[in-house]
Formats: sequence, C-alpha cells, structure tokens
Amino acid sequence: MTRHRLLGVLAMLLLASSQGAANPSGVGAGTFDAQCGGACHGDADMNRSSPATVTVEAPEVAYDALLTSVSVTVSNIQTTTNGLLGVFLLSDLSGAEDTPADDGWTVISNSEGGVENYVEAQIAPGQTNHTVSWTLRAPAVGTYNLHAAIHHGTQDGSEAPFFGATASPATVSVVEVPENLPRLSATFTPPTQITVGQDTEVNLQTEFVDVVAVDWRTVGGEAQTASVRQLEDGSWAFTLPASVQPVVIEWRAHLEGEGPPQTTPWFQINSDDASWSVDEPTAYVQSLAMLVAATSLFVGLQHRRSQSSLKAYEADLNEIGGED
Amino acid sequence: MVSAGTLHVVSTEMTVGAFAMAGAAFLLAGLASHDLLGMRRHLTLADNVAHFALAFGLLSMPMAIMTGIQASPGEGVDHPLLINKMLLASTAFGLAFGVLLTRWRQGSEVWLHEWGRRWQALGGMVAVGLILTTASIGGTFTRGESLLDMLHLPYEHVPLMPIWLSGFIIVVATVNLVLLRRPAQV
Repeated sequence: MTRHRLLGVLAMLLLASSQGAANPSGVGAGTFDAQCGGACHGDADMNRSSPATVTVEAPEVAYDALLTSVSVTVSNIQTTTNGLLGVFLLSDLSGAEDTPADDGWTVISNSEGGVENYVEAQIAPGQTNHTVSWTLRAPAVGTYNLHAAIHHGTQDGSEAPFFGATASPATVSVVEVPENLPRLSATFTPPTQITVGQDTEVNLQTEFVDVVAVDWRTVGGEAQTASVRQLEDGSWAFTLPASVQPVVIEWRAHLEGEGPPQTTPWFQINSDDASWSVDEPTAYVQSLAMLVAATSLFVGLQHRRSQSSLKAYEADLNEIGGED
Repeated sequence: MVSAGTLHVVSTEMTVGAFAMAGAAFLLAGLASHDLLGMRRHLTLADNVAHFALAFGLLSMPMAIMTGIQASPGEGVDHPLLINKMLLASTAFGLAFGVLLTRWRQGSEVWLHEWGRRWQALGGMVAVGLILTTASIGGTFTRGESLLDMLHLPYEHVPLMPIWLSGFIIVVATVNLVLLRRPAQV
C-alpha cells in the first residue's frame, strides 16, 4: 500500500513537471535578463535560432539624465501557434545582468504600455514586422551599447524554443547637458497609463524653456496639436482627449528657449479599460467554502431525508402491527 | 508536444460531455424513479449512467482546470469572469461530489424514497447546470460570446463574502460532514 502511494506521488510530481517545464502562454512583461526571461529559450544548449531579424535603433547622442527613445524592429517574423513574441531590450548579450538598468538606464515606458525591458507582443497570423519602442532616461556620461533579443515558439507543433538577437548593437554616447539647453526637467516622468473614456491632463516640468508646443497622435495616425498652458515658471499642462477604446497614444513636446530648440522623443501612453482587481485569497477561500458547503448541504439534506423516511417507515410498520 | 490550449479544449470537451450525459441521465432517472412516461424499467440503467458519467466528469475537471491555467494569458485571476468561473466550478464540484457520496452511501435505495429520488435527480441536474454555465463563461471569456448570453447572466458582478465568513462556512460545513459520517440509524 505504501509503495502504491509513493508511486502515486511520484507520478503526480512527474506530471506536474511536464506542465510547468515551459511557458507556452508567455511569462508576461517584466524586467528580465535574456537568460531568465525565456527559460529554455535563452539556453544555448536547448534553443534554436530564430529566422527573424532584429534591429535596434537609438540616437547616437543622448544627454545625461534626460529622456531618449529607442526602438527595436523585428522583421521576417514567423507565425507561431499562439502568436506571442517576446522582445528584450538589453545592455549586452551575456545572458546575466544584462538589462538596461544594469548599465544605468532607466526604463520610463514602452509602446506595449509597460515600464519593463521585456515585453510580449501578440503577432497576428501573417504579420511579419513588429516594432517596440522604449523611452529611457540616459545614464551617466559615457558610451553605451544597446542590444535587443527575441524569443518565440513555432507552429509545427514541436514547441521548440527559438531565440534571436541583434547582429550589432546600437551605440549611444551620453554627453553632458549643454548649458541653457531647453529640456524637460530631470525629475519629470511621463505618464504611461490612462483610462479609456477619461480626458488626461499631463503636467510638464521644464528647464530653460520659454515656449512649449505638444503634438499627439494615435499609433499610425496623423499628429495633432494639443493646447498647452503655462501654470507657472517651468510648469506646463496640456490635455489629451479621451479615447473610446484601448489604444496607444503618443505625444512629444517642442521646447524653445535661449538655447537651441529641442524636440523630445515620442512618449507612449497606453489607454486601457479601468483595471480590475480582486483580493485573490478571499476569492480562493470563498471558492473552497462553496465547494465544502455544497457537498455538506446536499449530503446533510439526503441524510435528514433518509432518517425521516426511515422513521416514517418505522411508524408505518408499528401502525400495521397495531392493527394486527 | 501538444499545446496547453489544445489540451484544454480536449479536457474541457471531455468534462462538459460527461456532465451533459450525466444531466440527461439524471433527468431520465428522475422520471423513471417517479414512474413517469412508463420508464420505471430503465431506472437502473439511468442511475448507473448518471452517476458514472458524473464521476468521470469530476475526474476530468482537474485536467481541464490545469490546462486552462496553462493556456490563459497573463497571471492570476484578473477578470470578473474568471472569478465567477472558479466560484461556479467549485460549487458544481461540491454538489456533484455530494450527489456521488450520497449514492455511494445509500446505494440504489436513494431512488426508493419519495424526497430522496427528487433531491438526487435535482442535485445531479443542478450540478450539471452549474458546470454548463461555467463552460459558458469560458466561451464568453475567450470568444466574447456564448449560447447562454441570451439569459443575460450577471457575469461581470462578483459576489464576494468576507474571508472570515468563508472560513466560518468551511468550518461549519466540515464539522457537518464529519458528523454525517455516521450512517442513519433506525
């Protein structure tokens, strides 16, 4: 009997490992090294080379502690079973401690609506290109490389892990901010999430800026101009109109002052339905309560019925006996 | 390797199919036990089919749940439909387990008593109905529509109790089950 129990436990553990060995549904966006983000995808002994081409585009020069934009374009994408494509922005391809943050970059936002260096995009069947953009705050003065990597599944049913990376990195020189350069304040952080159906007011903090103009657009749409009002010296506000459905909205600011005029990178804001959350432990405990209560109620009902029927049956017998 | 999504479809079809058969058999068993439509002679057959199909459906449920979790996007239960699905599935599981437990403890005599046969047939059919509603919620979640949408069920509303009340119910129900372990005495 003990042996059978042991075999049962071992069988369950083996089944559990096969269920948990891979993440065919993805792992979700996060801050990951290339090795951690994909489990077997990042393991050179287990993965296969992706036929997709990965390129990273970044400005040659960025200013210390100011915002800049980097985009990763994946082309020749293969259609996969679930359409998931994982994209990493990395500081190197060593597989460990290779997030942009490890080189001093700060991820402010990405075009998928998050603030992480790894995103998972849903690729439609037949779609061969996809671009993900990141807004980063530059690290200290120096020269930095930015790489990109991807991983995905396949459609042939083998569930083989595919991995791909940029052939050459983008090199960014981070330099000191010139004196009097019109710029966004180093403390300014653009919003990344807004709610569908609500106007959004964005407050800008600037330095050495006399005039601000803001363009905004939905991805792929035409740019429009937002009305900007000055709140006080170095503080401005503009309003993005309410979206009627979840969409990515991009905006940028044109800054003018004593120094040469500047245009910020496009900042992405993910417009989404109001988030919904629940206290999960409460839900799980209630689920268990309903299970046990349903069993108990039904068994109790039938037990009570059984006893009353037997008593009635007994009474009938006594009555019959009495007549005799 | 077969993907979790495909396995989920297979295991769900097995579960729902088994429960649907159980539901039909419980209906027939209820009719037969009341000697309606001249079906008395089919009672044993309907009884066996109903309870075996229900047991098979219960055995298939964990596989459907595990593959469903593997196939679902994101992490955790972040949608009211998923919470309602979990609550309904748990209630259905508990009710179905109670129906099987009663049948196991009382044997075929459960069909001999007037209210016993009514509760047994009704309990089986309600459990099946809850499972079908659960499957309907799954359809609404993945495809945005399902056949039961015509009933306009309030899937978006989650009736949550305080955790202390859930805990109290678990304790009371468990004590009740333990006390009921003793068979009915004449």
